[in-house]
Amino acid sequence: MNRIFLSIINFYQKYISIISHGSCRYHPTCSEYAKINFQFNNTFYALYFTLIRILSCNKLFEGGFDYPKVKYKINNVIFKKIKIKFWLIPINNDKYYVIKNWDRNRQNIK
Amino acid sequence: MGMTNNTLNKENTQKKILIATIISFAFFIGYDFLYLQPQQELAKQTQQKEAQALKQQSEQTPLVSQIAGEANSSAANNAPSVHANNANEIISTIKTKTSNIEIDSFGRIAQITLTTHRFQNEQHNAIKLFTPSQLKPLEVRFFDAKVNEEAFKIKAQASSKVLDASSEPVKLTITQTLSTTTLTKDLTIYPDGHYDLDIATSNKQNYFITPGFRPDVLADVYADHGSLLIKNDGTLNIVEDEDLDSNAEFVGIHAASAFDRYYATVLYNFDKNLQVTLMSNKDKSPEAFIHIMNNAKLSGYVGPKDYNALNALDEKLTSVIEYGWFTFIAKPMFSMLQYIYNYVGNWGWTIVILTILVKLILLPLSHKGMVSMNRLKELAPKIKAIQEKYSDDKQKASMHMMELYKSEGANPMGGCLPIILQIPVFFAIYRVLINAIELKGSEWILWINDLSEMDPYYVLPILMGVTMYVQQRITPSQIQDEMQQKIFQWLPVVFTVFFLWFPAGLTLYWFINNLVTVSQQYYVNKIFAKEKIARHEKHLATKHTNEK
Repeated sequence: MNRIFLSIINFYQKYISIISHGSCRYHPTCSEYAKINFQFNNTFYALYFTLIRILSCNKLFEGGFDYPKVKYKINNVIFKKIKIKFWLIPINNDKYYVIKNWDRNRQNIK
Repeated sequence: MGMTNNTLNKENTQKKILIATIISFAFFIGYDFLYLQPQQELAKQTQQKEAQALKQQSEQTPLVSQIAGEANSSAANNAPSVHANNANEIISTIKTKTSNIEIDSFGRIAQITLTTHRFQNEQHNAIKLFTPSQLKPLEVRFFDAKVNEEAFKIKAQASSKVLDASSEPVKLTITQTLSTTTLTKDLTIYPDGHYDLDIATSNKQNYFITPGFRPDVLADVYADHGSLLIKNDGTLNIVEDEDLDSNAEFVGIHAASAFDRYYATVLYNFDKNLQVTLMSNKDKSPEAFIHIMNNAKLSGYVGPKDYNALNALDEKLTSVIEYGWFTFIAKPMFSMLQYIYNYVGNWGWTIVILTILVKLILLPLSHKGMVSMNRLKELAPKIKAIQEKYSDDKQKASMHMMELYKSEGANPMGGCLPIILQIPVFFAIYRVLINAIELKGSEWILWINDLSEMDPYYVLPILMGVTMYVQQRITPSQIQDEMQQKIFQWLPVVFTVFFLWFPAGLTLYWFINNLVTVSQQYYVNKIFAKEKIARHEKHLATKHTNEK
């Protein structure tokens, strides 16, 4: 289910967002926010958070930085060198802010 | 090395964007010219051919119904496949306030001609609703194959040859005497063109009656056409033409309708649950058949899907007007248009007023946006620096922009919600303007004499393009990417071409929309310029006093 939504968002980002380019009041953008939500949360929560985010993405709200909050259980910790995709910033219990590592695809990073 | 890679990537994506735009642009134009127009012409040709074939046929011996050889397996399979379109002898003609109804010797409504001035085609002929070769309203098919075969050979008798229902309701009885049973259709025809039907057989019989195949005046890809059933819970079941692969049974139906863009034929009884079979005809288009045992009371309407006319018959009947996916916004939109129209009396001005009203409601939002957009102008150098620094990473650039906005206390972005909201609103207006018969043949001013058709002189689309261009020019832009800016500059041209063939009403809406935005932007720009001068003077004044 989440995959379907992810592919819709990917399609949107690739082809449709040219028209609506640069209108989001938030960082990360609504579509990016939705994407992370669908990657970490279950469909229901992801839909809910995305909807709230889009509804509040208008002139009546401040905008600015708003990172997705997700529930995540960290287990099977492997201590070795990995490629960092996301940074998880703990809030409390199993809740984390998710920050995407934008540099993950760059080779010349130290 | 990394740098060149990035610039290469960027060029690639820009190329992709440009190519995508050009391809989609070419597709739409090509689609219109190569597909839509030939298709319409083809439809015209086949219609003419069919009419000719029909003429020849009726001169020859009557067609033997194909049903004879078919096994009497199920009611659904039994009923259709008869196309007794020969022997089109008219046995009765009824004149109503708005139409002429012709009843043929099979006791069916063979043709309806709309007589009011509004319903004329391009050649100034009165519009005829039905294609001769298709299934006709009130055609009856018997469950029993033998009875059915006989019914298509024996002619029905009408109680009167000519009737005038233009001032008060008239009664007409159509009787068909068969060897095993007698079928009677008691019709009461009202001045507004709708009718009540009392149908009965002299002994126990299972049979079907149909509202007929949809009117065939304007069935194109712009709006839905097909069959529509209203269920007893008010929900709809819509099957579009060429979409019905196999027959389908429905129970608890209150109304069965077949419709094209503007016209519909419907049989209904909102007090009774009907059983309906949707048959797939040779084009896989749906044909509705209502099951009847012995006798039934029904009402019917054939004509334009005029909201007021349908509402007068039964409020639930207005569901026959459907706007596709966006009905939930399109319906209130239409009610609003109708409300304004009652005061204004001209659909063109109604559209203008509605557009301005919508804009006024959104004014607080858009005004705030324009002001902060102007403030952004002053930050332009800083923004450019950020964008150059992170030209290869949009998300990173956006992050740093966000930081800048935060420190400056101005967030210029409009937000995703307004953009997402615009899409359904636009489609709803589009569907209303395309589907609403009320706009058919309604004029605005000067050269626009039909808001549902394209502007014959392309004035409105060009005006729309011009206002769009002006709007872009006076709106402070924050797009720094050159290629994207170029695409943006071409957008007015692309839109103008798109809108050339759109209904004039829709183009009018878009034009007024742009016009209001432009004047609002102009006003904000002016105020902002004044403020800037004032600030500058104040600054000079304080500087002056400090120097002292």
